[in-house]
Amino acid sequence: MRAGLAARARRRLPGVASVALVVLVMVVLFGPVLMLALFSFNDSSIISLPWEGFTMRWYEEAWNAGQARDAVLNSLLVAAVVATASLVLGTLAAWGLTRLRFAGRGLAAGLHGSVLVVPWLIIGVAGLIFFSELGVSLSLQTVGLMQLVVTFPLVVAIVSAGLVRFSRSQEEAAIDLGASQAQMLRHVVLPQIAPSLAAAGIFAFAWSFNNFEISFFTGGFDQTFPVWVFSILRQSENLPVVNAASTVIALAQVLAVFGAWLAIKRLSRRGGSGGNEAISELMTGAVR
Amino acid sequence: MESASLPLGRRHRGERRRSLLRPLAFMSLPMAILGLFFLAPMLVMLVIALQYGILSGQSGFTLTNFSDVLGDELYREVALTTVQIATAAMVIQLLLAVPLAYVLAFKAGRWEIPLLLFFVLADELNPMVRIYAWRMLLGREGLINSALLDIGLIEQPIDALLFSKFAVIVVLSTSYLTYTVIPIYAAMKAIDTNMFEAARDLGAGWWTTFRRVLLPLIAPGIFVALLLVYIPLFTDFASPALVGGTEGYMLGNAVNDLVLESGDLNGGAAMSMLMLLAAGVFAVIAYRLAKIKQLEQ
Repeated sequence: MRAGLAARARRRLPGVASVALVVLVMVVLFGPVLMLALFSFNDSSIISLPWEGFTMRWYEEAWNAGQARDAVLNSLLVAAVVATASLVLGTLAAWGLTRLRFAGRGLAAGLHGSVLVVPWLIIGVAGLIFFSELGVSLSLQTVGLMQLVVTFPLVVAIVSAGLVRFSRSQEEAAIDLGASQAQMLRHVVLPQIAPSLAAAGIFAFAWSFNNFEISFFTGGFDQTFPVWVFSILRQSENLPVVNAASTVIALAQVLAVFGAWLAIKRLSRRGGSGGNEAISELMTGAVR
Repeated sequence: MESASLPLGRRHRGERRRSLLRPLAFMSLPMAILGLFFLAPMLVMLVIALQYGILSGQSGFTLTNFSDVLGDELYREVALTTVQIATAAMVIQLLLAVPLAYVLAFKAGRWEIPLLLFFVLADELNPMVRIYAWRMLLGREGLINSALLDIGLIEQPIDALLFSKFAVIVVLSTSYLTYTVIPIYAAMKAIDTNMFEAARDLGAGWWTTFRRVLLPLIAPGIFVALLLVYIPLFTDFASPALVGGTEGYMLGNAVNDLVLESGDLNGGAAMSMLMLLAAGVFAVIAYRLAKIKQLEQ
């Protein structure tokens, strides 16, 4: 009887260990950010125990302090422009690289891929030197340009993966049945790659919004949200206003990822297993 | 005869022109952007790295920027610290990622997709927010120290938690874990689970199964993870700047200080080029290894 119990315990042990491992990792990944959110409501100007009571004043201050709000708005603006431009450029290049034959195609594909391996720090420094040599003053525009260069190859990677997944014979069939090039793109290709496009757009936006190194080196006096947080933390101790602004951003990002998942699931439903498809789209994006 | 061949020839020529025009239409804009804002800045940086600085009073091309960086004792120490921190963070992540990927791929059942979604979310959270959150926890007056003091476990706050190599390793490990887990998970998903049964039937214990069956099959995933994570770990600059202090000073900080603090664009450019070279060599090796392993299967 005891032997049976021990055997059962041994059989269940991997299960317990797996749960413990997953819980531990989730606590380490999300615990700090949850604490950060919690202390954005603490009625004390220093971030430490004991708990001094609930307040919303740090949120009011973050909103009223021009810098925090401007930084977030700057980030949103740059990310919106970069994501849109990346989708256009990335889809063009993905189509060209996967569907057309031309001399130097391998080289072009390699160039797009190599951008993804170059660290952003080096891209940022190169951008800074490049613009200062040209005598172009640094601003959100230079940030946007340099971010575009590293972000649209990501769209190329995601959309190419989507294009490679479905067979060209469907496109040929559409043309043979008398569809025009535009009709074929609209009715055959677009529905197939819609999930990839959605994932690519969302990741392009997130990449731009989260990008620190490039914004830091090529932004001059214009601050994006990560650059603002960095400069505050370089100058002073931890501040509850940063907690408040960070909490809002983190919450928005949780909603964005969840919303993206639902949207991609819906777009890829016709393909059958919507959930799996959606998650694999999100993963190709997450993995660069 | 002639009149029949004429339109045919024209059609051919027309097709050839279109087959040249279409790639041009699709590729010219992306390639122009890459040329102008990726290749050109890299080239300018290389040229600047090969020139005398304005302050030196000399002009023309030189290798002194490179030899200055390579010969400097301090930078050698910084490089060593960087290797230590990046390698420690990489090893910790791999030790966590292999079992995690295994759980996700084979044990999680209906939790698989929600958990993956959590990993994507962890990756998408703003890195600066994450660094700040850790700083808040680890500081001298931070939450961990104040909680430990409150319950009387320690009498003095532990200073080494923040502004140390330890802090940088913790922050970096949590920042890139998603990139380490997902390629390994993808490699595991492709494994036929009958392999495990076969190994067990043939009398292999879990360690033998892991070493002889699982590890060779997930090796390409591990190389992809190395490619995605090890290079950014080497060049990370925000984490060491905010939680590293002097002990956790890394190469990324050195580049930043050269370029923005001392205004030595030439030195910063030389250092960036050296880091790029190292990253390139590493990328080629990891890429080759991943490819070779895939071919072997």
